[in-house]
Amino acid sequence: MNTFYFIAFLSIFFSLLVIFAKNPVHSVLYLIITFFTFTIHYVILNAQFLAIVNFIVYMGAILVLFLFVMMMLNLNKESEPNKSNLIKIVGVIGGGCLMVTLVAAVKGLAKSQPVVLQNPDLGSVQNLGKVLFGEFLLPFEVSSILLLSAMVGAVLLATKDPKQPKTV
Amino acid sequence: MTTLIIIAVLPIVLLYLGLFKANKLLLPVTIIGLLAALGTAIMKWNSYDAPIYHDMMLFDNFSVAFSGITIVSTLLILMLSKGYFEKISHNVAEYFAIILFSLAGIIVMVSYYNLTMLFVGLEIMSVSLYILAGINKKDFASNEASLKYFLMGAFSTGFLLFGIALIYGATHSFNLAAIRDWVTAHPRNMDPLFHTGVVLIIIGLCFKVGAAPFHFWTPDVYEGSPTLITAFMSTVVKTAGFAAFLRLFSVSFISIADFWMPTLMVITVITLFVGNLTALYQHSFKRMLAFSSISHAGYLLFAIVALSAASGNAVFIYATAYSIASIIAFAVLLLVQQQLGSDSFESFNGLGRRNPFLALVLTIAMLSLAGIPLTAGFMGKFFMFYGALSRFQVWLVILAVVNAIISIFYYFRVIIAMYFRSSEQTALEVPGYYQFVLGFSALATLVIGIYPAIVTNLPNLI
Repeated sequence: MNTFYFIAFLSIFFSLLVIFAKNPVHSVLYLIITFFTFTIHYVILNAQFLAIVNFIVYMGAILVLFLFVMMMLNLNKESEPNKSNLIKIVGVIGGGCLMVTLVAAVKGLAKSQPVVLQNPDLGSVQNLGKVLFGEFLLPFEVSSILLLSAMVGAVLLATKDPKQPKTV
Repeated sequence: MTTLIIIAVLPIVLLYLGLFKANKLLLPVTIIGLLAALGTAIMKWNSYDAPIYHDMMLFDNFSVAFSGITIVSTLLILMLSKGYFEKISHNVAEYFAIILFSLAGIIVMVSYYNLTMLFVGLEIMSVSLYILAGINKKDFASNEASLKYFLMGAFSTGFLLFGIALIYGATHSFNLAAIRDWVTAHPRNMDPLFHTGVVLIIIGLCFKVGAAPFHFWTPDVYEGSPTLITAFMSTVVKTAGFAAFLRLFSVSFISIADFWMPTLMVITVITLFVGNLTALYQHSFKRMLAFSSISHAGYLLFAIVALSAASGNAVFIYATAYSIASIIAFAVLLLVQQQLGSDSFESFNGLGRRNPFLALVLTIAMLSLAGIPLTAGFMGKFFMFYGALSRFQVWLVILAVVNAIISIFYYFRVIIAMYFRSSEQTALEVPGYYQFVLGFSALATLVIGIYPAIVTNLPNLI
């Protein structure tokens, strides 16, 4: 239980640092640490597959890609547009309302049996595979359309046109 | 299911045709494929099937009706693409393929019976649209539209997903029927997780259909995207969004209508006013259509605010009327844009003399969008208001009528420009495909307006 609270504290602490860091590159680095704490959460919950996927795909691949993009864009303070105070106030009110709702919702929940999983192997790769290829086979297969469409689109947007046609 | 398979396989066939440089075949193959999909969809009418594949999808009359209208609209829009994509680049097959992928997502969205399918369908549609908005690579506005749509869309998907997760946490199921049963088993009980989830889902879906105050992306994205894609986004995508919205709320959340109804009513009123008042001040026809699409989202929300057994039919009639009228408007805009290179109201000056046929069909479309009797738009508004009045939402209807009157001003600006302003422009040629689409849509608008029994006699869709 104490491990959970410690890791949860770290998650919140680093995600706050993501927002408050002035340098975007630092922001992404903090985001990587935040995602690492999520991986530990998954391990605690005995969701091994999610932990590994989170570690490899999100932390390893996507955020490192993010980091490269950030470095290539070369963002610095001068190029950052100035946000007006009004927008900041509206943002704080809107975000605050959502936070109050969510905190109240979580607080209103009845406590479940802490850390006792009904089925300790719930998150194992074997069980996940059975669910994915049994009950959730159709969404799993239909997702292939999503990937194919995204792939075609990425190639389409990235290729150079051989000749410059007249644009509309 | 056959419909979905045909529409998912068709783009792959088109990609192969593109590979072998058979660009002439693209449009005919697409039309044949979509007609086949339409046929298989209509064959499911009144079949009363049970949900299939572990209750993932349900092909009932609701799904058939909305699959039908989205496929027909896509067909009409693709017929306008003759010679359009070639001007952007040589990769015409890819454009067709991505539009059809997006249509596959839409078929999933109108037939889902499980929240995971809703999410997958919505993502297939959205990701394809992010790409389509940016296909005009050299155009700055198109790039901006794509990026804006992507960022906003990803953000709104986060809300939707969070809502779905909370609802799963409360009900232990993604299945619409199981969620409904859970709600009936826990009456009068404000469950913190479940009700927060419902609100987050409302936010996510309102974002997707472009209802105020989540509409900020709409004008820029609609204006920046290539006009043909804007036509697709503001007709087919909007119809699909409302179908998905309606199915979730009519199946699962109907018994807690007291909880979400006030929220949606406020959203409806804001949407109506924001859409109509801002549309009054636009100088560009395309941007005006973008704002008018926001206001039409407001009218469509009426069916969900006054949720009853007739809501499905009301949304179906309204979406049909709105889609065909918008397709006419965008088709005429495409022709005018190709001739003059501008989409301001001035470029429509003297269209009544330059091409009387175009001016006539655009007048019919504008009258239908404004909701003048004897057009399909009037029947759509009539059923929306009728549904709201039968739920005693008198003030909502009064506000909506005020908005309908405001909308007449900006729709009539085009008509005035076409018939009462003169210009030195030469006559405008209308290609064969355009003549068919325009004639068909205008005829459909008039037929539904004069003889509405063909759509009103449908059995209740939900």
